[in-house]
This record gives sequence, structure tokens and C-alpha cells, in this order.
Amino acid sequence: MKSGMLKKIPKWNLILLLTLVGEIIIFGLINPRFWNLNVLLNSFNDFVGIAIIAFFVTFVVITGGIDISGGSIIGLTSVVTGMLAQFVGMNIWIAALLAVLVGGLCGLLNGVLIAYAKVQAMVITLGGMLLYSGIAIVLVGLSGTSTYEGISGFSQEFINLANGKILGIPHSVILFLVILVIAYILLHRTRYGRYVYLTGINQNAADYSGIDTRKIITSTYILSGLSAGIAGVILTSYLGSSRADFGAEYLMPILTAVVLGGTLITGGKGGVIGTALASIVVGFLKLGLQMGGVQTQYIGLATGLLLITSVAFLGVPGFKSKVKRFLTIKKDRGGNLHA
Amino acid sequence: MRKSKFFKLLTGVALSTLLLAACSGEDSGKSTENGSGGEKDASDIEVVFIPKMTGNAFFESGNDGAQEMAEKIGFKVKYDGAPEGTVANQVQIINSAVNSGADAIAISSVTSDGLNQALQKALDAGIKVVTWDSDVDPKYRTAYINQGTPDILGAMLVDMAASQLENPDEAQQIAWFYSSPTVPDQNSWVDYANKYIKEKYPNWEVVTTQFGDGNEQKSLQVGESILDSYPDIDIIICPDSTALPAMAQAAQNKGLNKEDVIITGFASPNSMRQYIENDTIENHGLWDVKDQGALAVYIAYYLAQGNELKVGDTVDVPELGEVKVEPNSVQGYEYEAEDSGIIVLPERIVFTKDNTGDYDF
Amino acid sequence: MLHLEHIKEEVIGMSKITGITKYREFRTIIFLIIIFLLVGIVNSDFLALENILNSVKNSLLYIVLAVGLTFVLLTGEIDISVGGTLGLSAAVSGVIVRDGGSIFLAIIVAIVIGALIGLVNGIGVTKLKISSFIMTLGMLEIVRVVQVIYTDGKWIENLPANFKQISQINLLGMNLLGIIVILAVIILHLYLSNSRKGRYFSAIGDNEDGAILMGIPVIRYKIISFVICGISASLAGLIFASQVGFISTTAGLGIEMTVIAAAVLGGVSLSGGIGSVVGAAIGAIIMSSINSALVFLKVPAFWNATISGSLLIVIVVVDVLIFRRANKKAKKERLNARVLTLKEEV
Repeated sequence: MKSGMLKKIPKWNLILLLTLVGEIIIFGLINPRFWNLNVLLNSFNDFVGIAIIAFFVTFVVITGGIDISGGSIIGLTSVVTGMLAQFVGMNIWIAALLAVLVGGLCGLLNGVLIAYAKVQAMVITLGGMLLYSGIAIVLVGLSGTSTYEGISGFSQEFINLANGKILGIPHSVILFLVILVIAYILLHRTRYGRYVYLTGINQNAADYSGIDTRKIITSTYILSGLSAGIAGVILTSYLGSSRADFGAEYLMPILTAVVLGGTLITGGKGGVIGTALASIVVGFLKLGLQMGGVQTQYIGLATGLLLITSVAFLGVPGFKSKVKRFLTIKKDRGGNLHA
Repeated sequence: MRKSKFFKLLTGVALSTLLLAACSGEDSGKSTENGSGGEKDASDIEVVFIPKMTGNAFFESGNDGAQEMAEKIGFKVKYDGAPEGTVANQVQIINSAVNSGADAIAISSVTSDGLNQALQKALDAGIKVVTWDSDVDPKYRTAYINQGTPDILGAMLVDMAASQLENPDEAQQIAWFYSSPTVPDQNSWVDYANKYIKEKYPNWEVVTTQFGDGNEQKSLQVGESILDSYPDIDIIICPDSTALPAMAQAAQNKGLNKEDVIITGFASPNSMRQYIENDTIENHGLWDVKDQGALAVYIAYYLAQGNELKVGDTVDVPELGEVKVEPNSVQGYEYEAEDSGIIVLPERIVFTKDNTGDYDF
Repeated sequence: MLHLEHIKEEVIGMSKITGITKYREFRTIIFLIIIFLLVGIVNSDFLALENILNSVKNSLLYIVLAVGLTFVLLTGEIDISVGGTLGLSAAVSGVIVRDGGSIFLAIIVAIVIGALIGLVNGIGVTKLKISSFIMTLGMLEIVRVVQVIYTDGKWIENLPANFKQISQINLLGMNLLGIIVILAVIILHLYLSNSRKGRYFSAIGDNEDGAILMGIPVIRYKIISFVICGISASLAGLIFASQVGFISTTAGLGIEMTVIAAAVLGGVSLSGGIGSVVGAAIGAIIMSSINSALVFLKVPAFWNATISGSLLIVIVVVDVLIFRRANKKAKKERLNARVLTLKEEV
């Protein structure tokens, strides 16, 4: 069963890779300034936050759930970092660490309500989205800072976290790769990862075979929350400022990266490599179109078309209905196992 | 087996990409087209005009003015913005402007300090930075085309309301209604206005401050709720181009007009004309944002040509006349430098039945 | 003959379920009443009859959207593009009335736009076999940009007064549009739960293969559900234009999440098969009332998001925890109903 699925993933990833190469060639032809390694690498700065969260939302979606609260957790962790560092006077790195943990706590709340109370993931994370950004605004409001000024005055060291370069490679690229590797190992190389897949394919079957699916599901939300915390710290460093409204517009890009990366919204199938490739494809698409002179507000058209055509393309009738059969069997025979 | 094939492919692609980049690699990330001084042909100069967000009548009008100026003089203006006015989006657009080799940027910022890093990168690449409507940290820009300092605008808001009262010293209930607690400009006006009210009209009471997020449907709902939850409200001031028309419509939906509640604020004349004409409101204000946009891109173009702008200089702008560069202190900044100053628009406009028809933006 | 037998069994099985579903709508109404009471304690103006009637008027937009979405949700799919359809139809019809065209024409054009977008969604999901989440997500982005291009980034304003009046007409003290919408909801509810063809929608969502075996034209009904959703989104766009009076390029941005939450609050299941339009409508009223309630509560506005979010979570969690037993029972019923039909097959 597992090997049957893995066969599908690389095929999709291959298509993404080809799309990426195609993009680089086409956009470079339109505007030769695109064929500049520095420009391409620097563009990672602008989508690394989205990508990091997308990696772990992939985990969540594989188990059959969804997490739309990531963007708001970014704002919350940004505010927490700023307040702990500037008002409480903590060391910035400890503050950042605590902020990431706060992100994990948000994920824990999401996960417990979804896995143990068995409430619909979409609604809980929607409520979470409102709640976490609300807490961020309240924290700023209560602290007496004017909400519109944001908290700044971070040390240059901290700002270099997202803005610096090692051997000419921007930190954001390195962070992207490091977290990608961690996510990949977790999902594809550990027993934990296998359990995540099994829970997504058929939760009842996984339960019967001894896996504590509720813990697995909760853990995916915690990971998603932690990744949002990390993204929040990175964004705070990148912009040199803490604001409650950071990340608010990330919802659709995150979902697009996950879905374009080949992860099925119904769960059970997908992978982080696909998500990584998809986030780069979308990131470069935006950059390339901008450099080609297209106004940013029109770029959504291209992203939407890309999404639809790529999925339709892969929808070769034969294999698609086979997958559908495979998935629907899980739905109606509640108690029966599928080998 | 499958895995290794995949990784081989990945490495192959990565290498070929690097090769492509190396072959055609020109500049190493520092795109410097505009050299140091020397005249450039006008048609070679590109100014990127960045609004807080797209799809908003106010910023679109600013762009109209900018495009007209560009056509007249012969340089290029690219209008680039995102529908969501967030810091990350603006940073990404600044970065893309740098990447595309723009010569100058004229931006209305959503944040007072979040763009610093991105603007520094732009300055390092030799790009001139001008701000308009909503400023950034003065260290990172050469000029700020200012529609009015907070004291001018804050007082204007209050005075527009007070002018409709027979006896402005009486106790009044007033409400503030604008976009969000996080935008620098509107909040700075409201802060000043509140101080002004305390001094001049101490009997006025601010009963609530509400936000509409620049979303017209939400603004309508909040507007109606304000009228419902504060039935004795006297004055509602809306310094936001979405909140004001929504508030006026809310009042109209409830059958109220300027005799029942005073509504005023900042918004484009086109969006408010019908409410002035049917007596829902008496007046509202703004400034000529077309002129502001035109001025902003002209100054940007002027700087991109290699000219310098120092505090105290005057510049002759086609059609708009002479403008003077004031020091940063007029806005209350502490940062003073020779090459960083503010150009204040000469006038603001109060629209009433008499003059609203004269404007089209 | 065999078909009728199947449907009879389904009816027996389903009536037990409808018993429990009615339960669910009552619970939703109770939540609504509780919210009103709580806010009323803090500010009694909230409980004024005028305000309650106002709440219905304000939530018209969400009700219409949620009802259309319910059709799609019942079949086990989802439609995230409703916000874009709303914006585009609002913009196009706005331009028509602003430039002096007849209101009737504007309404027809809006409906056509909504139907077309729904048709595209439906075909993409059924014929091209694209997951509805992806298809409608992609369409959302495309339709948004189409709207921006169509309006050239400008606002549509200065709509004629008679068009704006439509949403304000009152009949016997109640908003006319509100009355029409409520009547429509009731009619649709009866259709979906009692008429044979109406129940196809939830049958498809509940067990798609079973529905195929029963002879239900699944593809046709799925496409119909998307078309209905698209039309209701465009009708919502018309209401939007009439109520708000001006249309920006971000009209309807982000509204899809609220509408989905409204449907779920009202008991519609995201995996299909369960739920009713009445529940979705009540859920819509709840979501919209939260926004106005916050102003009435006179808390500093920066508490709004926190309160909305916590409220949403609390309502859904309480509902699930307290009534989990009812849910388990419902699941058993569905299983039994299916077993009964299968037995008949054999």
C-alpha cells in the first residue's frame, strides 16, 4: 500500500521540477535580469515563511485535517518576541525561543480540540485564526504601545537572522533547506511519519492496529503551530519590527503551496518535497511576472490557472478514478479494514 | 532506486540552473543602472509608484495623477501594489522593483518602520526613495510628499464637524471610525485630534473608536451598529476613504441625514457627492491626491536624473508650480539631515455642495 | 418497482435521521438566543425588536451565501470561490445600473455570471476530476483578478437611489428582501428534505457509490449544486451592491471562511450528507450578529477578533461535547439504513 502511493509522488514532483525549470527559462527570456542567481536566491526571503508553514500543514492535511490558523500565529509570535525582548528586557534569542513555543501551544490547542473533542478542523482553526490574531492585538493594546507603530529597536544581530548571507547564500535559503530536511526525515524516514500517513488513509484501521491516532493528529497541529512560530520569528527579524498583523495574508499562499505540491485535501497522500517545490514554483512565478512588468494585483490569475491546469493535467482518467475508488472504500465500510 | 534517480535529476537541474545564471550573469545582485550624477534620458527612467493597497479609489486617483505627469514629461511610471495592504507584501514589491532595475520608488507605506530593511537594500542599489501620503523612517527616504502634518489634518477633521454646530462648546458625543489600529497616518491624525478636542472643546466626549478594516461591507455593518448602539450620537468622524462612504450609506439606510447626526471625514469627492447632494452629509475633506501622486513621481524622477534635493531648496514642478523642501521637524521627527526633507502640499480641500462638482477623482 | 423499495427503506432510515437533524437546528437556534441574551444583559438595546429585525437584514448576505453553499456541501464537495463570484457579479451589475441600465437587466446578468462560474466549477470537479477544494480555490483567484481587470481597479460608486432602495423596502415593519429570503429558505429546506429529487443531494454526499448504484445521476446533480451555489453568490452580490451602495475591488474578500463557518455552525457537515439550509441560515445569522454584537458590547474594538474567535470555538466544542451521543446515534442510523438497502440489493 505504501509503495503504491510513493510511486505516485515522484511523478508529480517531477512535473513541478520541470515547471520550475520552464519558468526560469521563460522568465529569463522575458527579462534577462531574472537569470541572476542572487536575485533568485534573494527571492526566497519573501516566501520562506509561507514555505516553512506549508511543510507542516502538509502533515496536517495528510492526516485528513486542515490548519488555517498559521498566518495568525505568525502575528502572535511576532508580538510575543517583540514584547519579551523590548519590554521585559529578555535576551532576544530566548524571547524568540519562547515565542516559538507559544506557537506550539496554539497548535496544541488546535490539535486537542480537533483530535480529542473531534470537532471539525476547518472551524476550530478558523476560530483559532481569529483568536490568535485577536490575542496579538490585545497584547499590544494592553501594553500601551500604539498599535500602529509596531515594536522595533531589535539588535542588528537579530535582524541578520533573516537578512544575512553565508558564502553569498541568503540565510533564508539555508533555513528553507534545513527545515525541509527536518520535515522530510520526520515524514518519510521515521515510524512517526508512517503513522501520519496511516492515520490519514483510514483512521479507524490505524486505531485498530494500535496507533494512537489522536496523539498523532494532535502532534501534527503542534508541529504546524511551531513552524508558524518559527516563521513569525523569521519575519520579525526580516522586517526588523513586531506587529500583530504579520502573516494575515498568508492563508491562501500556504494552502496553494500544499495543494499544488500534490497533497490530497482528503488526506492520505502527499509529501513535503512536493510542497517545497510548489512554494518555489509559486514564488518564482510571482517574481518572474513582476519582472516581466505585470502588476502584482493581476498575478493571482496566473496562480489560479496554474493550480487548476496542473491538477487537471495530472487527472488522467484511469488512475484518478482508481484512486477515488481506493479512497471511497474507506468511507463506507466503516468497520472493515482495507489491506 | 527511484529515490536516487530523483536526486540525480534534482542535482542535474540545480547545476544547469547555476550554469544558466553564471553564463548570463551580469550584475552581482547590485543592480545599478542609474549611475552617479549625469543626465539620463527621460524615457529611460522608471519610477515604481506603490500604494498602500490596490483597489482603493484614493490610491487609484493618486496613480491617475502620477500617470498623467509621467506622460507629460516622458518618463515611465509603473503602478504596483497588492490588494492586501500588508508589510510583507510591500517589502516584496520593493524587492521586485530593485530586481527589475527601477530607478526610483514613490511609496505610501503601511508601516512606520517595517520597510526599513527593504528600503536600505534599495538605497544600496542606488535607487532613489520618495514617500507620499504615509511616511517611513526619514533616514530611508529623501523626500516625503506630505498632504498635511498631523496637527493640520487632525484639526481639520474636528473643525469640519464643529463648523456644523450652532454652539460647538456644548456637550457632544462623538465617535471615531476608520480603518484599523495599525496604520500610521490615520492614527496619528486621530491622536492629535483627540488632544485638540480636549483643549478646544472640553465638553465633547469620545464615546467609541471603531474600525472597518477598509472593507466596505464590514464598514457598513459597523456603521449601522454605531448608529444603533449609540442612539444619541452627535458626531461621527471617519478619516478613512472606505469608512466615510459606508457610514454615510448606513445613515441613509436608516433614514438619517445631516440634521440628525453630523458625519464627516476624509474620502474622495466622487464617492461622497451623492451624499452631499441628498443632504446626508454637509461636508467632508481631502486634498488633491492626483496632485500628490503627480508631485511624488516628479520628485522621484527629478532625483533619479541625478539631481540632489536639500532642505530649503525649491523645485519647479510643471503645472504645479514651485515647491519647497521643509526640514523633517515639521512632522515632528527628530532625525534631521540635509538630504532628507518634507514637501507639504499647499492646500487641503473641504468639499461642500458648492464645490464638489468641480473635482473628478 | 425496485427503485421505490430502495427509496422507502431510505425514507425509514432517513426519518430517524431527520428526527435528530431537527434536534441540531434547535441547538443552533438556542445558541443564537443565548448570544442575544448575553449581549442583551450588557446592553439592553440589543434586544430591541428593531435590532433583532435588523440582524436578519444584516445577515441576508451571509444567509444567501450559506444556503447556496449548503447544496455543494451536502454533496460532499466544497466551494471556496463564492467571495469572488459575489464580487464580480456585484461589480458587473453595479456598472449596469450606474450607467443607466435597467435593474432587471442587472439582475439577469448577475445570475448568468453566477451560473457560469458555478458551471465551470462543476465541470472541473466532475468531468476533469479536480478536487473541489483546488478547483474552487483556483477559480477564486481567477475571478478576483477578472473583477480587477473589468473595473480597471476603480470603485463602482454612485449607484442610483432606486437600486439601493430595494434592500431597504419594508413590509409590515420587516425588510422585504428579508421576508423573501426567509420564505426561500423554508421552501428550499422542504425541497431538500422531503422531495425525492431534493434528497439526492444529501444521498450523494452520504455515499456516492451507493447513490450511483441507486441510479441517481450523480454528475448532473453535483454540477447543479455548483450552479446553485454560484447563483446564490451572485444574488448575494446584488444584495451587497444594494445595501452597501459602492463596490470596491476587494468586495467579498475573505468572506468564504465566514460562510463556511456559518454552514458548519448550522450543522452542515463538511464531509457531506448531513445538514440543512435552515441550519446554515441560522448559522449565518449567528456569524453576522457577532460582528454587530461586539459594537453593542462597547468593549474597546481591539478585543473584537479575540471574542469572535473564542465564541466560535466555544460554540462548536460545546455542541460536539454535549451532543456527541446524538452524533454517534446518527452514525449508527446511517449505517443501518445502508445495510438495509444493501440487503434489498442482494
